[in-house]
Amino acid sequence: MSYKPGVCTFCGTGCAHLLKTDNGSVDGVFPVQNHPVSRGRLCVRGWNIHELLNTPERITTPLVKKDGALVPASYDEAIGVLVKGLADRKANAAEEIAVLASPRSSNEENYLLTRLARSVWGTNNITLDSDSGHRNSLDVLAAGTGMAGMTGSLEELRSCEYVLVAGIDITKQNPIIGSEIHYAVRSGATLVTVDSRKTQIARLSTSFLQARPGSNKIVYAAMAKILIEENLVDFDFLKKHNDGFEGFANSLGALRDEDISAKTGVSMDAIRAAARGLAAAKSAMVFFSSGISGLDADTISYIYNLFLIAGKVGRPGCGVNPIAGINNLQGGYDMGVAPDLLSGFRPITDAKAASAVSAAWGAPISAKPGRGVHELLESGASKLTALIVVDHDEGIVRHAERIKTIPFVAYIGAYKNPFMEYATVVLPIATYIEDDCTFTNTERRVQLSKKKADAPSGVLPGWKLLSAIAEKSGSKWSYASSAAVMDEIAKITPTYAGISHAKLEGTFGMQWPCDAKNPKGTARLSIEASKTFTFAPVSGSFEVPKPTGDFPSLLMIGKAQHFWHQNNIMRKTSIPLREYNTTLLLYPDGYVDITADEAKAAGVRDGWPVNVVSAKGSMRVQARVTDEVGPGAAYVPYFIQEMISEFLLENVDILKLGEDATIPVRIEKV
Amino acid sequence: MYLIKKSDVLRLAEELGKTHDLYGPFMEPATKQAMFERVGKAADIDLAAPIPALPPKHALLPHYEKILAYSYDKKTQKVDLAPIYDDRPKALFGVRPCDLTGILCLDRFFLGQEFLDEVYKYHRKNLFIVSQTCVAPFKQCFCVCCDGGPAASEGYDLNLTDLGDTYLVEAGSEKGKKLAEAMGLAAADAKHQAEKTRRIDKCITLFDSVATDNKAWISRVMNRVTTGFIDEAVWEYIGNQCFECGACSFVCPTCSCFNIVDLPRKNGGAHESDRVRTWDSCSYEGYTREAGGHNPRKPVEDRRNKRFFCKLSYSQSKKYLRPGCVGCGRCQWVCPGDIGLPNVVTYIRREIHS
Amino acid sequence: MMENGKIVTIPAVATIDEIKDEIPNVRTYYLSFDDKAIDGAFTFRSGQFIMLTVFGEGECAISLPPSPEKDRFHITVRSVGKVTRALGGLSAGDKVGVRGPFGNGFPFDEIKGKNVVFVAGGIGLIPLRSSIVHVLQHRKDFGRVILLSGSRTPSDIMYKYNMKEWQENCEAFYTVDNPTPDWTGETGFVHTLIEKAKVPVENTVAFVCGPPVMFNTVNQELMKRGLSDEFIISTLERHMKCGVGKCQHCAVGRTLVCTDGPVYTYRQIKILGEQI
Ligand SMILES: Cc1cc2nc3c(=O)[nH]c(=O)nc-3n(C[C@H](O)[C@H](O)[C@H](O)COP(=O)(O)OP(=O)(O)OC[C@H]3O[C@@H](n4cnc5c(N)ncnc54)[C@H](O)[C@@H]3O)c2cc1C
Ligand code: SF4
Ligand code: SF4
Ligand code: SF4
Repeated sequence: MSYKPGVCTFCGTGCAHLLKTDNGSVDGVFPVQNHPVSRGRLCVRGWNIHELLNTPERITTPLVKKDGALVPASYDEAIGVLVKGLADRKANAAEEIAVLASPRSSNEENYLLTRLARSVWGTNNITLDSDSGHRNSLDVLAAGTGMAGMTGSLEELRSCEYVLVAGIDITKQNPIIGSEIHYAVRSGATLVTVDSRKTQIARLSTSFLQARPGSNKIVYAAMAKILIEENLVDFDFLKKHNDGFEGFANSLGALRDEDISAKTGVSMDAIRAAARGLAAAKSAMVFFSSGISGLDADTISYIYNLFLIAGKVGRPGCGVNPIAGINNLQGGYDMGVAPDLLSGFRPITDAKAASAVSAAWGAPISAKPGRGVHELLESGASKLTALIVVDHDEGIVRHAERIKTIPFVAYIGAYKNPFMEYATVVLPIATYIEDDCTFTNTERRVQLSKKKADAPSGVLPGWKLLSAIAEKSGSKWSYASSAAVMDEIAKITPTYAGISHAKLEGTFGMQWPCDAKNPKGTARLSIEASKTFTFAPVSGSFEVPKPTGDFPSLLMIGKAQHFWHQNNIMRKTSIPLREYNTTLLLYPDGYVDITADEAKAAGVRDGWPVNVVSAKGSMRVQARVTDEVGPGAAYVPYFIQEMISEFLLENVDILKLGEDATIPVRIEKV
Repeated sequence: MYLIKKSDVLRLAEELGKTHDLYGPFMEPATKQAMFERVGKAADIDLAAPIPALPPKHALLPHYEKILAYSYDKKTQKVDLAPIYDDRPKALFGVRPCDLTGILCLDRFFLGQEFLDEVYKYHRKNLFIVSQTCVAPFKQCFCVCCDGGPAASEGYDLNLTDLGDTYLVEAGSEKGKKLAEAMGLAAADAKHQAEKTRRIDKCITLFDSVATDNKAWISRVMNRVTTGFIDEAVWEYIGNQCFECGACSFVCPTCSCFNIVDLPRKNGGAHESDRVRTWDSCSYEGYTREAGGHNPRKPVEDRRNKRFFCKLSYSQSKKYLRPGCVGCGRCQWVCPGDIGLPNVVTYIRREIHS
Repeated sequence: MMENGKIVTIPAVATIDEIKDEIPNVRTYYLSFDDKAIDGAFTFRSGQFIMLTVFGEGECAISLPPSPEKDRFHITVRSVGKVTRALGGLSAGDKVGVRGPFGNGFPFDEIKGKNVVFVAGGIGLIPLRSSIVHVLQHRKDFGRVILLSGSRTPSDIMYKYNMKEWQENCEAFYTVDNPTPDWTGETGFVHTLIEKAKVPVENTVAFVCGPPVMFNTVNQELMKRGLSDEFIISTLERHMKCGVGKCQHCAVGRTLVCTDGPVYTYRQIKILGEQI
């Protein structure tokens, strides 16, 4: 009986698996039929997770930089270097120290990391890597509904009548959620996909609205406008449960009917049908990407407001569902890994919450929000001198040049990583199968993963290492186990109040809020529990990027969809790595997707080299002729960034705007 | 033919366990999922467990297996090569007929072609198979459509049939006979044989009401699949639903495609490597990609096409001496799309009719 | 260990005796087996291939360019990926592993007495070299022997050191797409040589290897002149892992390139419904 149950830790779906663990090595994986979300399925990543768990590329000993080279050291010595490095900066910690946490770390690890940062190192500069998209989603949902997470439940998806896929390549990003959507469609649900690219889920949709790049928001606003004009608004629901409807309705006045098709390239009839379908359905869910960059807050606000108008929030089978691309992105925010948050997504300025936290920690914490690590790295003016990085995901270090100038860099992680190059000190930790720990999936499901194998000789689990760092810094923590850490999390975090390892054991997880009122957790936000929902403020601006004569095509740079391509842990596998690299076998110089018409106009064929020219610069890639993009659109996957990095740098301001940002370009034959 | 009391049947397993690594079906306690796997002791085996989620294939073709350990020191130019063959005696106890048929397919494929697969040969060498007749089907089963069950006719050392309070024990090999004799099992007679036949017939009649998930009229589509006369649109419809997860290949008792990679040895010395062989799937895009610039561009429906060609064409059947599908229904429940083999057969059949 | 004259499972260790640069990114490696018994017993047919292990990196399929008789044992490899690039990093004296020979090989017995035309595009000459040398070694068994070789530039011509000998012993034509000032041979794509060489189609077999575009145009040209697709012979390259018909990576239609190929007739390739 060597197959032991656990949770897949690649993406935010949180599928259950059985890992074949014999003699300390993981020699296979198998899905679990009874798990309420994954129901016996895994995706290509999940089916090959043992390749990662078997990689020889582990960090097996602490390392300390001496004379420019990392040399093995004892934990004691290495922790000493870390503690001293940070103690030296303690006086000005809020300016000088920053922590880049990982959305892959367990809840217990991330919680303790915030404790270290805030109460021991004295800094609130702590950020989850790859943060912005999900933060936008959580801000909108927390302000609107009080729930800082997906409001729906994946378990209810199968019986949902109407699904809106809002620009997420979900069968690639979170395939098993994509599979559940496909199941719902087969059971009769209407599936509407709004996207600028024809993804697999678009092909499986009842209706695909291919909006011009950068215009997706208008489609959602137009749907809302149609519902209001056609009196399809759920007035009963709004009367009882809304706040701010009129304001939102008025703001839609700025959107003129005649502009809608012109700006989006989608016919009014198609948008109208999609809107009517939403109103007519008893239940509806919307899915959007909350990955690497995700959507901007304004677009999310329109989506959320649309669902409020339709009365599709807080009811059975309904949900506004941001989808986390990384396994514990949601859990990271739950644990308060952000410059301005405490656990349970409470603002650090909340005095009552802060005092409970500081009482539990036996140390004061600053109520002044810190700054985001990426912001600090980007700003030339910041006084950052020490950076602690945990399990960094990206194979390519974004701020490499800046980080090289930071005098003190510490890396904490299980796997070897390009980041180690910059580190003054490296501290290894165990992987998730080498200790008990919990992860929270994209639908707030907190799942326990039990220890199945021993860590490489002498390597500590995260909670023990962080405790040892605290201890050497003079703070005595007294957790006896990772379960004890969760007990403390439960004590000070209202949404996790009813959660413990003991209760999770033998279950497929519990969805927060889990407290005295909801001892078994809460599958879905419900109207009964939250009387009033508030409309999200919106910009009222419906500008779309305009191609010009010189640059007639709008170039999209795909991030979330292609996150896995350059992922540091994918690079430690064989089959998933091969799969993520296959397109590059055909297009070894990287590629740009263009339509057949566009190719003809440029005089090129599939595979031919082209220059993609923007106002600021150009890049040379191969043309990939496809029907995945629409007319006037072009698409470059972010994962080829090594090949096009200069072009990306030239256009970095635009890219920061999020997943829907576009660059006007022209395609030229080389 | 022998008899053994129901309450004693695991004594056979216990006896085998003395000289073999013992594998059998059981309910995994935490997930309540039927598995077929190595057990700690005979008593862990639950012959009544439903068709296991995981076929016994992994005992012969592991998901992840080191097949060669080597070292090469460039300084001394010394090369050491040590093949890793696993010939541990293994006893598979309570194998369902479909899964046994799957093992026979693997045997013919790995041992019966131009070359013999050395690694498989060693796994197979000291294998003892105790199969069990299915006296009732499960929801997902359609073995009757493709002669994969519900009773085993060959390939076992011992076969068990539940006759109520006793099991009929049939020996299919000298090894099996020896064990039955050594255990001093009582002899069975024609009456018991007749009861077995009655129970198999009963099982077959139950398919209509119990095995409702899948049906696959395989013979109807084999000709089409072999000749390739299937509308592109059907393949496209199928291809659009493939999530390229590989699951269908992994859970299939007859799928045997593998990948090979050489990896530096985990915790090994600087010059040490392992050659590792792992399950692979023709549904993966990278499976057929060739380095070197020119690659036939393959849409996903072509790749799906390949798996069904393998399961359902005459040319491939020549390698297995039967269709490549044994009717276990597993690929249907693991598929994130809706294109397990039985469904695909249905889609093709519909196209033939329309 | 050899079974039926083949090294099937465990690679036999061989030493790189010498390395020769061919064209940019392509080198020829002369090998000898460390086990003298194998060195003596290892025989193969033109068109067969080996599985080459670069220790620590992995295995890949590589053709055998030497003639089965009287030729130094060697391989010619282009660096494209993990294994082939690692091979490029080795030097004379280093060790590699060899399994094989595998595959069907070219059908020489069936084509005795016929005219033989070799058409190679770029490194397509690698899998053809063995046959060219073999045919020239048995020159009197064949009718006209014609070699048409196309390369991008003069410095991309494979096996330049064989050029003179081949030109002397058969009707050899070399062409380049982009000539340099000192180039005296033909200019243009290789299919234009078919006309120039007055390639016969009666009682003729053509061996065609090269990139897909070249392969297709050459075949169209030959067929236009009346050569049946049955007599156009090529080799297929596919992703390959085991070489012995088990891993199934190289499945092409109902066949496996490793055991049923790599040599196919153009007719077979068309029936299999695959692209080259
Ligand atoms: C029967 C047969 C005979 C063969 N004979 C020969 C021969 O004689 N000589 C010879 O040189 N080859 C020959 N080949 C081809 C050879 O087998 C492949 O080139 C080899 O398998 C590549 O292995 P690799 O590990 O180097 O590449 P892999 O590591 O498999 O290559 C994959 C990786 O390399 C990269 N890559 C691959 N191709 C390209 C490309 N074109 N451009 C950019 N990056 C790329 C990709 O990033 C990919 O991740 C033959 C193949 C077959 C089937
Ligand atoms: S969908 Fe996500 S959680 Fe599920 S198997 Fe794939 S990577 Fe793992
Ligand atoms: S093809 Fe599907 S149903 Fe048939 S044997 Fe394989 S897994 Fe079972
Ligand atoms: S199980 Fe389904 S989705 Fe997965 S590879 Fe097979 S056919 Fe495709």
